[in-house]
Amino acid sequence: MEKFNVFASRLIPKEDYVCSGHRACQGCAEALAMRLVHKVLGRNTIAASATGCMEIISSPYPETAWAIPWLHVAFENSASVGSGIEAGLKALMRKGKIPKRKINVIAYGGDGATVDIGLQWVSGAMERGHDMIYVCYDNEAYMNTGIQRSSSTPLHAATTTSPAGKAIGGQQTWKKNMTEIMVAHNIPYVATINPSYPFDFMRKVKKAAEIEGPAYLHAYSCCPTGWGSRPELGIQLGRLAVETGAFPLYEVEYGKYSVQEKVEDFRPLKDYVKLQRRFRHLTDDQIAASQERLIKEYKLLLKKEQMTREGD
Amino acid sequence: MTVEITINGVKAKAEKGESLLEVIRKYGFVVPSLCHHHAVEPCGSCRVCLVSVTDNGRTKLAASCNYKVREGLDVTTDSEEIRRNRAMVLELMLAESNAPQVQKLAAEYGVTSSRFSTEETKALAAERDGCILCGLCVRVCEEVVEVAALNFEGRGDKRDVGTPYQEAPQNCIACGACAYVCPTDCIGFVEEDGVRKLKKWKRELPMAKDPSGRPIAPQFQLYYFTQKAGLPADFYKKGGPGSR
Repeated sequence: MEKFNVFASRLIPKEDYVCSGHRACQGCAEALAMRLVHKVLGRNTIAASATGCMEIISSPYPETAWAIPWLHVAFENSASVGSGIEAGLKALMRKGKIPKRKINVIAYGGDGATVDIGLQWVSGAMERGHDMIYVCYDNEAYMNTGIQRSSSTPLHAATTTSPAGKAIGGQQTWKKNMTEIMVAHNIPYVATINPSYPFDFMRKVKKAAEIEGPAYLHAYSCCPTGWGSRPELGIQLGRLAVETGAFPLYEVEYGKYSVQEKVEDFRPLKDYVKLQRRFRHLTDDQIAASQERLIKEYKLLLKKEQMTREGD
Repeated sequence: MTVEITINGVKAKAEKGESLLEVIRKYGFVVPSLCHHHAVEPCGSCRVCLVSVTDNGRTKLAASCNYKVREGLDVTTDSEEIRRNRAMVLELMLAESNAPQVQKLAAEYGVTSSRFSTEETKALAAERDGCILCGLCVRVCEEVVEVAALNFEGRGDKRDVGTPYQEAPQNCIACGACAYVCPTDCIGFVEEDGVRKLKKWKRELPMAKDPSGRPIAPQFQLYYFTQKAGLPADFYKKGGPGSR
């Protein structure tokens, strides 16, 4: 395979700031996403981390995978800490204590830390207009504590607190649409990213870093342990999630939508669902109903793109 | 061999012969550049990465990307003189290029219009459509992709980057590496109706499709890979979900 020199991937930065040797499970796409984010942001970055998989795997005492300044804070307030770092840097630069330069501030958390526990903290940090990036690594449940449901868990997915049995068939509610909540904050930049599309991913992270003001990124991250998928299928699942409409890739820049990797003929949702143990109890009717709703939401997204782009 | 240099008063360690720009950036100092990329040989064509280097008691301004690190260098990356010289370089560049990336960088150095802009240079800028002749695409195609479909042509103000005889290059595999590195995004890489196009090189290649009809990559590119790696001819025909 080395013969191929496949090409543009050779041209991305070589340095890693989340170093190898961390304790992520085999096939963790979340660790991949985090690595790509920090590859793009580079050396002049300060990260604030919520409790979660990405904190546990990267810093088991006394080791660390981080080659940049990194703070671990409580489950809910990484966004507040990120905004504090940004305000502190601004004050130090104004007083001339440190030289003026661009320092990226990133706060991140999993879907539990973002969508459930830390929602009002994220909302506050974004609303105050700090020049920072917030990244949600969405693996659709509380994975590091042992796969409990979160409000980001998709409909019918089995977790340990929403088991599939006689009484209920997995998660009973539709996935909370966190990206739209963030769009409603009227912040400069909101995007969904997926490590199965690395160039789109890196372009969006770069844009988020360059834009003045808060930016929110929602990263799809396959979790083989929690989803019961085979570790080598992480990238394929990411592609299938986009091609079936389960996780559309789009960005919203100053209120203007644009959809990437547009899907014209949707792949059957069954292709995506059958690769994961958390969905194995699903009947064909349930899958069809989910697909119908996903397509409806996708069409709404395309309509939003069309409407916000009118007159361009 | 490890040598010690000073960057803005900070002691830094580096390998002898390394690119000075990369060492500066490794230590977190910001130096702008347009024509540099770590994967290819530096050529110093854009001159934006000027820094002041003191070597053996002599101070001079030098492009840092192709300056090789030696023991005892004393480097300054930001000063009044450096900013003035970078601004001049950018003003000259601005006269021959209408790329928004160049305009943005120039604006950071306080240059919003060029004194060297004439009707002639405006026509040239329109013809080049943003290209600043940095040669990154040429170097990437030769060193990374190893296809060498592109090169410089002409001399002086006739210099241009392009393909043999200004025709679509027959060996280009439309991998898009040139479009990826281009600092001004002037190559025009698009995929539409199952055809991948590189507008600047006039190359258009039909895409191969997987069994469900989704495009994978240009047919010629897959043919090139199978030839180069000695794979069976139907290697890429099998497809599969998300096979792109």
